[in-house]
Amino acid sequence: MTEPIVTTPLRERATNALGDRLLHEALDIATTRFITLRREAFDDFPEGEQLRDRARAIKEATLQRLDTYLEMLVANVERLGGHVHFAATAEEARDIVLGIARRTGARMAVKSKSMATEEIHLNDALQAIGVTPVETDLGEYIIQLAHERPSHIIAPAIHKTKGQVAELFSRELGRPGLPADPEVLTKIAREELREKFLQADLGMTGANFAVADSGTGVLVTNEGNGRMATSLPRVHVAVMGVEKVIPSMTDLAVFLAILAKSATGQKLSVYTTLVQGPRRPGELEGPDEFHLVLLDNGRIAQIGGTLRESLYCLRCGACLNVCPVYRQIGGHAYGYTYPGPIGILLTAMINGPGSVKDLAHASSLCGACAEACPVRIDIPRMLIELRREMDARRIAPWTERVVFKTFARILRSPWLYRVGARIGRIAQRPFVRDGRIRALPFFFGHWTRTRDLPAVSARTFQERWRDL
Amino acid sequence: MTSKAEFLARIRTEMAKTPGLFTAAPAERPAQPRQRLDILRRELSERWPQMLERFRSEFERVAGVFHRVPTAAEVPAALERICRERAVRRVVTWPAEKLGVAIAPALGAAGIAVESMPHASVPDTERDRLRGTIAAADLGVTGADLAVAETGTLVLVSAAGRPRSTSLLPPCHVAIFDRAALVESLEQVGLALEAWHDGPAPPERGAVINFITGPSRTADIELTLTRGVHGPKEIHAIFVDGGLARHD
Repeated sequence: MTEPIVTTPLRERATNALGDRLLHEALDIATTRFITLRREAFDDFPEGEQLRDRARAIKEATLQRLDTYLEMLVANVERLGGHVHFAATAEEARDIVLGIARRTGARMAVKSKSMATEEIHLNDALQAIGVTPVETDLGEYIIQLAHERPSHIIAPAIHKTKGQVAELFSRELGRPGLPADPEVLTKIAREELREKFLQADLGMTGANFAVADSGTGVLVTNEGNGRMATSLPRVHVAVMGVEKVIPSMTDLAVFLAILAKSATGQKLSVYTTLVQGPRRPGELEGPDEFHLVLLDNGRIAQIGGTLRESLYCLRCGACLNVCPVYRQIGGHAYGYTYPGPIGILLTAMINGPGSVKDLAHASSLCGACAEACPVRIDIPRMLIELRREMDARRIAPWTERVVFKTFARILRSPWLYRVGARIGRIAQRPFVRDGRIRALPFFFGHWTRTRDLPAVSARTFQERWRDL
Repeated sequence: MTSKAEFLARIRTEMAKTPGLFTAAPAERPAQPRQRLDILRRELSERWPQMLERFRSEFERVAGVFHRVPTAAEVPAALERICRERAVRRVVTWPAEKLGVAIAPALGAAGIAVESMPHASVPDTERDRLRGTIAAADLGVTGADLAVAETGTLVLVSAAGRPRSTSLLPPCHVAIFDRAALVESLEQVGLALEAWHDGPAPPERGAVINFITGPSRTADIELTLTRGVHGPKEIHAIFVDGGLARHD
């Protein structure tokens, strides 16, 4: 279990986000750009559709024999001189990393962008034992300096303008008067972070994949921070969800062909780094120690659970960009590590379905996410199942449950339906204006606050049919 | 702490709940990847000009600068030109045996400080010094194990004498390659990776394989594409028509 990041209700978070004009503009520009780039990349790549099917089949096949592939991965990482750790919870994962940091006397950790370490809230834990965590992905670095949280899986700082970044760098890095120029700001970040890379003892990363048959951890970055973190510090720790294992290098080639296209529209990200244990004899650089932390944190229970398919997720962010809800409210409003449609499922997986009793409804079920997903995860289906589960477990508010139970009862019985229509026709009178119901009293008002309803017609279809 | 046995037992318990949901298989692996790769290389050797053309256009699409020289003897002059245009004073390079061409004498004669990386273990103090040298260099020279036409990607395997940071820390990276490195697609890269991992690794092999597709880049500030955030701002590839001295 991971504790929620924010405590205000979703409605309030969403309302705040909707009122933020700058955020809105930034989201609109970013998501539209990503959608276009992704579409162009796949238009240029006719075999893409078939590779998506293959990638999906590989994920499914791996899950069906997950124990075998994990054992193979562990054996191979150990054969190469690496160490493998098993973490059932976020807390265990943190303790493992902290143990390694303490034992090796680490003072500073450089982090390559990693959702898994976000998920286990590693930074605060490192800080608490006197290890300074430094985010090195430019977007994450900006977020860290601003003491904020990422708003998009692959573009964490899309909610910040260059002016805000210039101001932030000027203040936090003691370099007053920096211009609002991305080129200059990127150069400043390069200088600052280069120093950190050369000083740091600990390189912290996630892993996009781990190839079982060769014990290979795979990191994909555009900036090169993944390469830095795995080359320069004397200890490298990779934290990875168990579902990231894939059988072979042949499989890896399939995923690489679709991952970057889905995320940023690139044919391949700039750097794909395959790491096979610590530095080998004769090598000039690379860590003395390599640790792989395999993270459960709710994943294993879904192998046989309703959210199984969300274990296929590659964390590309394509479903965020196309989601009409995400595009309006952005990542922060979701309130947890993983935003967007897939984020709702991952949050339910990590924190239990109770954590998404509101979020599960933050979707129009339009299906754009499932269509954009490189491995065709059926997100809407699982959202519906989550809603059903919440109903069964009585997690939803009682008013909602009573209303929908009653509604279901009425729809199932022709007799009740006829009576209901008649009652509705009378009961609606005070609320109908121009043929629409625009405002309802009591808690029904939640519904009509942002929507209206067609009024029950003066004569129902059935009544008219009888007269024909 | 959770033990490996407990961890795997939990996975097996969950797996038992979904026996044979539906059948799916991972990608089919080549049975004898080394032989397959040899056969592929022979096939590819007949269409290298097309591959090279595709590589050039994709490499340029990702902002790489492509150069082509007739023979290995012209490589130092091409490098010297790149250095001169950028006022490069300090160069780090893989040693001549790993590159398949000697560049240090010519660059040295042109007044450029060249440090060749050692091809065997060195003491820790020397490692620290070399790391400083690489970090301070203006340009890094490497070879390439594969050049992927489909994506304009260079694949570099680390090893003794082939340090990872030569292609990472300096603001400019130059890779030298010939037709033996060319492959068409990511799928073929998959085959090469299978072949490299078929059987025990050669003792001199390093622990990292890097795919490099253009210069280091970010779009994290207002989606403005900016190059050279952590890695090189510029990447060059020099193709040698006449081939390099084979180094493995």
